[in-house]
Amino acid sequence: MDLELAYDRIYRYAYFRLGERAAAEDITQEAFLRFLGKYGQLREYDMRILYTIARNLCIDEYRRIKPEALPEETAEVPGLSVDGQEERILVRDALSKLPAEERELLLLRYVNDESPGTIGKLLKLSRFAVYRRLKTAEEHLRKEMEAEG
Amino acid sequence: MKRKKDDLDTLLREAFAAPEPAGREAFLKTLRPREVSTMQMLRQQAAYIRVPVWLFAALTVGLTIAGASVHLEETVRLMVMLMPFTAAVCVLETKRSERFGMSELEMATRYSLRSVILSRMIVLGILSALVLCICAPVLAAAFGGGVLPVGTRILIPYLVTMSASLAVERSPLGRKNGLLSPGIALVVASLSFLFGSYNPLLVLRYLEVLRSFGLPIAAFFLLLTVYEQWKTIKSVEAFA
Amino acid sequence: MKLSVDRITKQYKNKIAVDRISFALTEGVTGLLGANGAGKTTLMRMMAGILDPTGGEITADGVPVQTEGYRALLGYLPQDFGYYPEFTAREFVRYIAALKGLEKKHAKEKTEELLELVGLSDVAGKKIRTFSGGMKQRVGIAQALVNDPKLLILDEPTAGLDPKERVRFRNLIAEVGKETIVLFSTHIVSDVEHIAGNLLMMRDGQLIYEGPWDESRGDLEQFYMEEFE
Repeated sequence: MDLELAYDRIYRYAYFRLGERAAAEDITQEAFLRFLGKYGQLREYDMRILYTIARNLCIDEYRRIKPEALPEETAEVPGLSVDGQEERILVRDALSKLPAEERELLLLRYVNDESPGTIGKLLKLSRFAVYRRLKTAEEHLRKEMEAEG
Repeated sequence: MKRKKDDLDTLLREAFAAPEPAGREAFLKTLRPREVSTMQMLRQQAAYIRVPVWLFAALTVGLTIAGASVHLEETVRLMVMLMPFTAAVCVLETKRSERFGMSELEMATRYSLRSVILSRMIVLGILSALVLCICAPVLAAAFGGGVLPVGTRILIPYLVTMSASLAVERSPLGRKNGLLSPGIALVVASLSFLFGSYNPLLVLRYLEVLRSFGLPIAAFFLLLTVYEQWKTIKSVEAFA
Repeated sequence: MKLSVDRITKQYKNKIAVDRISFALTEGVTGLLGANGAGKTTLMRMMAGILDPTGGEITADGVPVQTEGYRALLGYLPQDFGYYPEFTAREFVRYIAALKGLEKKHAKEKTEELLELVGLSDVAGKKIRTFSGGMKQRVGIAQALVNDPKLLILDEPTAGLDPKERVRFRNLIAEVGKETIVLFSTHIVSDVEHIAGNLLMMRDGQLIYEGPWDESRGDLEQFYMEEFE
């Protein structure tokens, strides 16, 4: 599979858990090296393993840096209108009020496009539980957004 | 604010936009990420199979079709004698790395030498199967006798030669001597020639046997060949 | 990148060819000196992933030698190599490029670039069997570089080169060594003196010297003569 894409997905995941670009990138690379050292090549199906390695590395790192709920300074999104920017801030505010587990789920499912199967393996949940929790997370997010907007 | 569900991933994507990872390109370059699928590997090795091998296969098929079209009865026996040489050509082709001292270089590339040799075997196997699949029906149509008996009749000497050659080529003698496989092919071909001319009745008996048991016999030799190939693959890389 | 060799051992039935050798290399040129039979080739073969060690580990930035990930970083020139008789210099390098998984277009460009670099572009279409020993060796060097290796292992690369070729080779390796870990074996001391910042010396399967040559120990040539000859 495309390693660049895989890199971006793992990096994004680590970044939103840690809130530090450099730390996230270190973890991404470390995860890749560990994974490739053991398995030689990466297939889509193995993303779950790569995520698990990255997640464990994040947990270690997490204890050390104790990051904010959501990284303060994220990338510019080019081409967003003023409304769009406002909307983005609104969503971010809403997200920051969610529990970290729900943010993780939303990121994995909607941004990184991981299958519920992969997410389930990573979080040690059944697929059904992943669907259920996703629903809850979505509802929470909507509620927070309505409260803000 | 009301939003449709479809918007959710767009919104989340924007919210979760991370800064560009600065070290991505440099890091991935060190990994050399290009992966090569089995298909690509096969195509690659197919491209490096020497022209004479293709020519030999084409010649076999050509002779069959030519012989069949002029109803030359001897064509079947000719094929029986040609197939061992097809096998020998395939074995020699498989062993090229060792013969020409390319093993070490091929081993140090992305793939192991094993996968190089395995893909070569697969390509050559497919080629041989193709030859068989064209020749057997053509011969059966021209001279009767049914596809299966004719097919097994030309397949068995091929498999016998191939399994014997693979076994011999692995031996210390085979490593030193490059011409053992053609030698074996010559022996098998001569034997089948002698057998064919010795007593026509015996040949008829043999054909009877093939008619009833051709498939299990061929399957037995096929298994033997696969076993020998497996052992050959296993012995690769142990030599260094 | 860091290449680490950790207590690597190769034992044959009656003899230990490489005996618990450990060292680490980073970018730069390292010369591996030793007499014939000291275990240089065995060590290098293990580092190239084509010979299984009896014990110990070899890793490049943590990636073990047995993996495809490691081989992707590797360029290797064996001490003695052959070629399929129908190969031209160009076909040879392209064949190795294909086996190293280079994309076709890139492989073509890289091949031409490297044949130019080793001074063979005018005979690129000629069959290797018409080449002199030195020319064949240059083809070997080109194929080793085709995947922009991060780790380049050259077993007796200067064997068969004439003095002019030797100088060209030294310059080339010095250039490559700026961004790559280069390890080359030789029994010619002046090869090492000219290009290798770092030195490994082997005798009877063991490492007897490691690091830049310590001038206080006198002349390297002298030392080598006393040790090995």
